[in-house]
Amino acid sequence: MAIQGFLVVSLLFSCLAATSYGLTFSSLQESLIVTASPKHGQVLSAGEDNIVVTWSFNKSLAAGTDSSYKTVKFKLCYAPVSQQDRAWRKTEDHLNKDKTCQHNIVTKPYSSSNNTFTWTVERDVPTATYFIRAYAYNSADHEVAYGQTTDAHKTTNLFNVQAISGRHVSLDIASICFSAFSVVSLFGFFFLENRKAKMSQAK
Amino acid sequence: MAGEENSPGSSMHGVTGKEQTFAFSVASDPTIPTDSTAKFALPVDSEHKSKVFKILSFANPHMRTFHLSWISFFTCFVSTFAAAPLVPIIRDDLNLTKTDIGNAGIASVSGSIFSRLVMGAACDLLGPRYACAFLIMLSAPTVFCMSFVSSAGGYIVVRFMIGFSLATFVSCQYWMSTMFNSRIIGLVNGTAAGWGNMGGGATQLLMPVLYELIRRAGATPFTAWRIAFFIPGWLHVIMGLLVLGLGQDLPDGNLSTLQKKGDVPKDQFSKVLWYAITNYRTWIFVLLYGMSLGVELTTDNVIAGYFFDRFDLKLHTAGTIAATFGMANIVSRPFGGLMSDIAARRFGMRGRLWNLWILQTAGGIFCICLGRANTLPLSITSMILFSIGAQAACGATFGIIPFLSRRSLGVISGLTGAGGNFGSGLTQLLFFTSSNYSTATGLSLMGIMIVACTIPVTLVHFPQWGSMFLPPSKDASKFNEESYYGSEWNEEEKEKGLHHGSLKFAENSRSERGRRVLSVSTPPNSTNSMCV
Repeated sequence: MAIQGFLVVSLLFSCLAATSYGLTFSSLQESLIVTASPKHGQVLSAGEDNIVVTWSFNKSLAAGTDSSYKTVKFKLCYAPVSQQDRAWRKTEDHLNKDKTCQHNIVTKPYSSSNNTFTWTVERDVPTATYFIRAYAYNSADHEVAYGQTTDAHKTTNLFNVQAISGRHVSLDIASICFSAFSVVSLFGFFFLENRKAKMSQAK
Repeated sequence: MAGEENSPGSSMHGVTGKEQTFAFSVASDPTIPTDSTAKFALPVDSEHKSKVFKILSFANPHMRTFHLSWISFFTCFVSTFAAAPLVPIIRDDLNLTKTDIGNAGIASVSGSIFSRLVMGAACDLLGPRYACAFLIMLSAPTVFCMSFVSSAGGYIVVRFMIGFSLATFVSCQYWMSTMFNSRIIGLVNGTAAGWGNMGGGATQLLMPVLYELIRRAGATPFTAWRIAFFIPGWLHVIMGLLVLGLGQDLPDGNLSTLQKKGDVPKDQFSKVLWYAITNYRTWIFVLLYGMSLGVELTTDNVIAGYFFDRFDLKLHTAGTIAATFGMANIVSRPFGGLMSDIAARRFGMRGRLWNLWILQTAGGIFCICLGRANTLPLSITSMILFSIGAQAACGATFGIIPFLSRRSLGVISGLTGAGGNFGSGLTQLLFFTSSNYSTATGLSLMGIMIVACTIPVTLVHFPQWGSMFLPPSKDASKFNEESYYGSEWNEEEKEKGLHHGSLKFAENSRSERGRRVLSVSTPPNSTNSMCV
């Protein structure tokens, strides 16, 4: 058991040593179980609603697998429907090129069970469909494992976030005022000049 | 407009080959009499148009008009492309897809295809000062409208409406031609157009900086970009008021005198249009300008987002790099025109055509390199070389356009300008809207299209001057400048003497034969009755 765990870890380390910046997602082990409070299809409001995340180590795996895990970083990741026709959110196997998970939630120190936290959806999260993924990092700050709220095909447990609109009533009013000023001053100038020309012609 | 002297594009600079090397001044040219009774800061000709081009002066009315004019055009470029560097923020706020972004880019350049054509008529009716002021102040509300946008559809519509303001190009060129003598109008117009086009680069720098400042002042990202749009909007209003307050249509100040000058026969628009569209060279240049100005406008729209996504740069870093593309216009467009003039001195029109082909093809090749470059330094280098090639080609194009036709010059210039915008819409549609390939691939494909679509310049043939590969016609008495420009008038019109302006131009255009001009004598069938 311990030897198996040691082999897995040394394999991972050797991968890291060989291609320390070329770490791929497919090389990571899904050893964390992550669940989040939103139900599939639920719509959350940015800046208001909370997400409760519960996570733990998958006990069915060999003990010692998690010996290298030091910290766990949680990220909000785009579901495939929000990646369609949007190359800036594309999923790539190379982790440093992958753009699936662009919003950080929180970083927690690793512990194997009884972990839970609440996070308020931040104000600058855009409108899209998401799931949550957790990456486990070792002491060299490299990804070694992950866990996510959805399945491997990213079809279950996806929730939506409705962003705060950037519009404000004060902006709208300012916009109308300046537009009106522009149009009125233009036509005012035009008519005033015409009248002056007519008056000087009449003299 | 085509029948009048001193209309846009009727530059005589360089035609005799005996003028000074640089067209900054024709004050010492004895053939243009200075009107010494006029009290202007600059030496003027008999129409009170300035004979010199003093860039750093603000003398009223000539140089003041130059600065008001190019800054207005610059402002419109700033607002039309203001969204481009902010797209990474806007696309998250409005949940845009690549298709939406591509469509918005196409919309931003399509509006002015139509408005540029209308603007010519507006300048004739209202005068360039009011035409410019009307356009710039009526498009200010469209810029302020960005604060209302909350969906992809709204975004596309607002960018379309802002794009109308690019027609200030026409008022800018028209206004220059009322203020500057035709011998220096080529350089003046080229400088004004180049400095105006710079706005497409300046905006890539300005908008991310404004966005950063507003965000640091406390606004959320999705509000900050909307507030940032107020600055181009205010620039519109300010420039509009300055144009109204400080500008004047003519050196003498009155528009009514222009309208009273009925002594120049007004040409028939239908005839002018006919000779423009039946000249095959017009359509070749419509295509060519689409591949120089068109790709420049397209790149203004996509390049900041490209650097942001491909190299993971910060927004204002991507904006700074993208800005250098548009800012190169400050020298590269005038440079292209200058190279055209230099080539013409030795090789005549053939030199101008080769110059255009070389510059535009080089631009295309560097565009291919830009798409394929994988490292940031190589990418930036390719981009700068691409910008010089494409923008110099724009300048070189308008070094040739004045010679395509004398009668229909205005319409041909307008069609060419519209072709530039059409080329921009087309390249954005083909290469930057679908998700089938990345932006990098799109850039490379666009470069290939530029190289391929520049080849038709080899087909432009003037019987009296030749083309890139063919020499001029041996029969100089049958195929000369007079017959070329005279062919635009029928016998009836020639009997009425309407074609005299064209004949005068034909005589002056003999310099396009290059070095051979010194050995050419005036052909026997040209008229010497210069008593117009």
